[in-house]
Amino acid sequence: MSPVDFIKNQMRIRCHDGVLTERLVQEPAAFGLGLVPKSVKPDATVDSVCGYCATGCSLKVHLRDGSAVNLSGNSTYPVNLGMACPKGWESLAPLSADDRATTPLLRGENGKLSPVSWEESMAAFVRRFKDIQAQHGDASVAFLGTGQIVTEEMAYLGALAKFGMGMVHGDGNTRQCMATAVVAYKQSFGFDSPPYTYQDFEESDVLIFVGANPCIAHPIMWQRVMRNQRNPEIIVVDPRKTETAMAATRHLPLAPKSDLALFYGLANRVIELGLIDQVFLDAHTNDFDAFKTFLADYTLEHAAEMSGLAYEKLDSLARLIGSGKRVSFWWTMGVNQSYEGVRLAQSMINLSLMTGNIGKPGTGANSITGQCNAMGSRLFSNTTNLFGGRAFENEADREAVAECTGIPVERIPSEPSYAYDQIIDAIERGEIKGLWMVATNTAHSWINQKRFRKIRDKLDFLVVQDMYHTTESAEIADLILPAAGWGEKDGVFINSERRIGRTRKVCKAPGQALSDFNIFRLVTHHWGCGDLFAEWSSPESVFQILKRLSAGQPCDFTGIEGYDHLDREGGIQWPLKRAEGGDLRPEGGGVKIEKQRRLFEDGKFDHADGKARFLFEAPRAMPEPPNAEYPFILLTGRGTSSQWHTQTRTSKSDVLRKLYPQNAYVEINPVDAKRLGIAPDDQIKVSSRRGEATVKAVLLASVQPGQLFMPMHYASTNYLTADAFDPYSRQPSYKACAVSVSK
Amino acid sequence: MLLKEQGTLQTPVSLFSAQHESATDAPAQAQFYKQLIPLSKPQAGEQYAFKVELDSCSGCKGCVSACHSLNGLDDHETWRDVGTIHGGLAGASYTQTVTTACHHCVDPACLNGCPVLAYEKDPETGIVRHLDDQCIGCQYCALKCPYDVPKYSKSLGIVRKCDMCHSRLAEGEAPACVQACPTEAISITIVNTEVVMTAAHAGATFLPGAPAPEYTVPTTQYVTQREIPSNVEASDRYALRPEDAHFPLVVMLVLTQLSAGLYTAALILNDTVVTHYIRLIALVAMGIGLVASTSHLGRPLGAWRAFLGLRRSWLSREIVVFGAFSGVAGAYTAVGFFDGIPPVIEYALGFGTVVSGLLGVFCSVMIYHDTQRPFWNFPVSCVKFFGTTFGLALGALLMVQSVVAGEAPHAIGMIALIAVFTIKLVLEATQLRAALQPEMTPAKKSALLMLKPLKPITISRYSFGVMGMFSFAAVALGILPVALSALGFGLLLIGELLERVLFFKAVAAPKMPGAFTS
Repeated sequence: MSPVDFIKNQMRIRCHDGVLTERLVQEPAAFGLGLVPKSVKPDATVDSVCGYCATGCSLKVHLRDGSAVNLSGNSTYPVNLGMACPKGWESLAPLSADDRATTPLLRGENGKLSPVSWEESMAAFVRRFKDIQAQHGDASVAFLGTGQIVTEEMAYLGALAKFGMGMVHGDGNTRQCMATAVVAYKQSFGFDSPPYTYQDFEESDVLIFVGANPCIAHPIMWQRVMRNQRNPEIIVVDPRKTETAMAATRHLPLAPKSDLALFYGLANRVIELGLIDQVFLDAHTNDFDAFKTFLADYTLEHAAEMSGLAYEKLDSLARLIGSGKRVSFWWTMGVNQSYEGVRLAQSMINLSLMTGNIGKPGTGANSITGQCNAMGSRLFSNTTNLFGGRAFENEADREAVAECTGIPVERIPSEPSYAYDQIIDAIERGEIKGLWMVATNTAHSWINQKRFRKIRDKLDFLVVQDMYHTTESAEIADLILPAAGWGEKDGVFINSERRIGRTRKVCKAPGQALSDFNIFRLVTHHWGCGDLFAEWSSPESVFQILKRLSAGQPCDFTGIEGYDHLDREGGIQWPLKRAEGGDLRPEGGGVKIEKQRRLFEDGKFDHADGKARFLFEAPRAMPEPPNAEYPFILLTGRGTSSQWHTQTRTSKSDVLRKLYPQNAYVEINPVDAKRLGIAPDDQIKVSSRRGEATVKAVLLASVQPGQLFMPMHYASTNYLTADAFDPYSRQPSYKACAVSVSK
Repeated sequence: MLLKEQGTLQTPVSLFSAQHESATDAPAQAQFYKQLIPLSKPQAGEQYAFKVELDSCSGCKGCVSACHSLNGLDDHETWRDVGTIHGGLAGASYTQTVTTACHHCVDPACLNGCPVLAYEKDPETGIVRHLDDQCIGCQYCALKCPYDVPKYSKSLGIVRKCDMCHSRLAEGEAPACVQACPTEAISITIVNTEVVMTAAHAGATFLPGAPAPEYTVPTTQYVTQREIPSNVEASDRYALRPEDAHFPLVVMLVLTQLSAGLYTAALILNDTVVTHYIRLIALVAMGIGLVASTSHLGRPLGAWRAFLGLRRSWLSREIVVFGAFSGVAGAYTAVGFFDGIPPVIEYALGFGTVVSGLLGVFCSVMIYHDTQRPFWNFPVSCVKFFGTTFGLALGALLMVQSVVAGEAPHAIGMIALIAVFTIKLVLEATQLRAALQPEMTPAKKSALLMLKPLKPITISRYSFGVMGMFSFAAVALGILPVALSALGFGLLLIGELLERVLFFKAVAAPKMPGAFTS
């Protein structure tokens, strides 16, 4: 601007335009976006599935010169109909954080992490792990994976670690969220088959949410509930009056860990009232009579007594469940993270089966999954299950995998892997000496953290592969491998309703960071097992391997041609079998694949006899009940929709940071607070037998007296939690432990 | 090789051709939001307003992010916020998330306070628009708005705020927040301004936990079918967040007040030697004060437009009055150095200086009083500002007198000085008493702020004030040498600056219910 213009500009009395006004000017963009800020107007867009939770929203990434400048919800995707939660909206922000790991970092003689080249890092990786294996056996090195990376990557990790590097033990952070649902489904249905499709939220008459707070944890699923035009009853079973409980038509604030007795009582009452679907039971299930006999001890009166809920309320619910309306059960962590979670999940599956509420629109016993690719991990992480939901112990399964992948069958371990907690125990025993952690943050998320920190010292070599060098786990690593994050790599996620969707590279990774896929290729090369993985050259080639691995399994998706097919269809739910005779047109889909498909519509389950089973067991007392010294039950869970797990990513967005409390806090009932002389916002000390945390007190009547609630996103919470586990799923029981409170 | 591959992004042309086919499509989201915006434009006496279905809001906060992303805001900038209100008792507890942005008030305080008319209320839509290029970054609107809406950007030097996506509405598109709410809790409606105004003045509740509506008459319609318990409160009700100190304003207020007080003293006194010094000190204080006030502005070059808001804005009036003050005071100070100026002219200049100076201080009081914040109400601000004016001026006068004369300050002056500062400190101390109130009020919040997070400043403020008085007393009693009266003045001056820091930092700023913070 010339000086004259500048002065002229300054001399204007009223400035309706100018450089500052210009900054926010909007212009019509193409691609169905409407008006967008001129400063970030895209020249192309591409759809990519979000990398946070298992809802699996599709985000329309706005590109300029091939690189992401902005994003918005994808209006045409059947999952989210153009919506996203704040984490999704802010997906790009964490990619440009200052603390991205941009080079490998190796802990040197001086005990400090220093940058090294990829060559040096790989040399150290191979030498240290091979030394440990030479000394302590192949099984002395293990890995901990994740539900946060793409399916192709987790499959590669599982294959490389077990078939290439000879590891036996590997698990993922999905143990912390989904293991219970997996085991419950496998035992009941014969395969890990969440039966529903999101359309069921809209088509249900009675939605029963158990230990689930979708308003906060899965807001875009809640969108579907709000779109339900059938004037549904929404029932929330949760000790706290959560956001979802507020929005429900009925809230059942049961006593913590009285849930199993509650559902057995409801089942008893449903039978008593004669509201079962005998025809369905006879045709499609086994063991109902044994269940019926077992239930004799679990009356509704007993349930009312255990749960502290009024008999009439429970009776009314039992009548509703058996009313013949479309009843659906939905659960998340309140069920899964329990010492008897498998049986609890099955108590709901049992109710669905008894009343014929399965395989029909708006029904089902439905586990809402946690992480963006927990479902991918359930099928292809190759940890406790062999690829495609198979078993390591099963010779035929091993042979099938060997045939599909070209890996010699003798390289496939015949013993099952330790679960997460067993790996930790094995480290403590000195049995496992080397650990490779990929895209998870054990040093924050694992239960009873003080114990874990001590156990870490027993590891000879800890490798952490992550986007950031600042995570609690990276900080205690011996070697950090810098990984590309969501948006910097390609692959597929599988969402909670079994929908396989693409996620894309729309940004360059910073510095020398590599996609997890490429890191695995690098390790393959340096480990010297490149010949085994010749076909594992790109995410899409691995996708083709996974297709083959799914063949003949209940998750069979051989009918999906490839990535382009997923793009064209806007995501495809499994199963999608290739029709007999190799016709590309998939079975069950015809030319047009139905956008919403649920399982078991034909009443055929995945056990050999095609029938579902009733599983049940006497409820047990909670492992750590409150007593005089520790009089409160501490509940944990999600804090806000703008926080994700251990906050490695969500803490990197300015916008998200504004939307959640920065430091740990505890919710306490005002009655308890008054008794203890605690005022709002006071700093108080919460102590358990394992540790303590000083946190701010929030007085909320939504928490029952005698209970406390702390969000899991703050590192201090897991210094309090107790390491109890479900015996079948090995999932930690994060939700309840005994604590005391002092000022 | 892998690094190179990692660094390569696919070419959009080859891969994303499908996207280009729909390049000319209408907004794809329109199918979902069409029924959430009015079909027609507001008629005379009507305006657009946000409507929030509280029962539908789940607290996902997608609206905040969508607003941020679809409006191209700076990294840290958000125009929407989501808070919570809660209450009830165990068994019947109540929690409600509340999404909030600009309420596009019928009587917008931001607009009324703006010294340069950088706000416009669109005559057709009623949208309160901010003219970014008109703004000088004085941030007075941020103090005026009871809902904490205008947000100052240091890097841009201006405030910005929600404009209800007026350009989208003009195109028949929904605002970003409306487009992005998964549960359709936010919509745009048309309200009758007269009806909204009548309701606000009749004492209707705008939203429990939110500032009362009669001040600015906000138009947002919060709707619920649920019964809200009587004990409901904002989740950030107990949060103790010190506000910005506005250091340039601290300096400006204290020094312009010192200056006005000194000119008053100069006019009253007959001692020419002393008044020369005093006028010089007053001039320097005024100069520094006015430079400081300019440095407070994000875009000082536009400050000349400050007269535009004279009709409504006390800030505008203050700027104009202090502008006049600086001119007259300069002349008044200058004539002291020339002989032969008729005394009547000098007296007239002096009179003009004092009137404009004191009027300026009065305008300063009104600026803060007009924000409706209890901590800044008229009587308290009056005592504080005029206490500084006369107390500090007295201190400077006694200092100059004793140094010039080489003897202890006059006893009467000393007593007056100690009286003024004692009254001032006692008045300030009474504000701390509010900490004992049973309920959290703005006054209690200010007291707690001063006693908790701002405790070091509070202690310093009293220490400097008391030490200043003692120093003067010690000089008067001959315990300390005369020259140390300068020390006394210095201590009092620092004490007053600290008082003004507390004035800004300890104010309880009204806002919409926020979320719990830790």
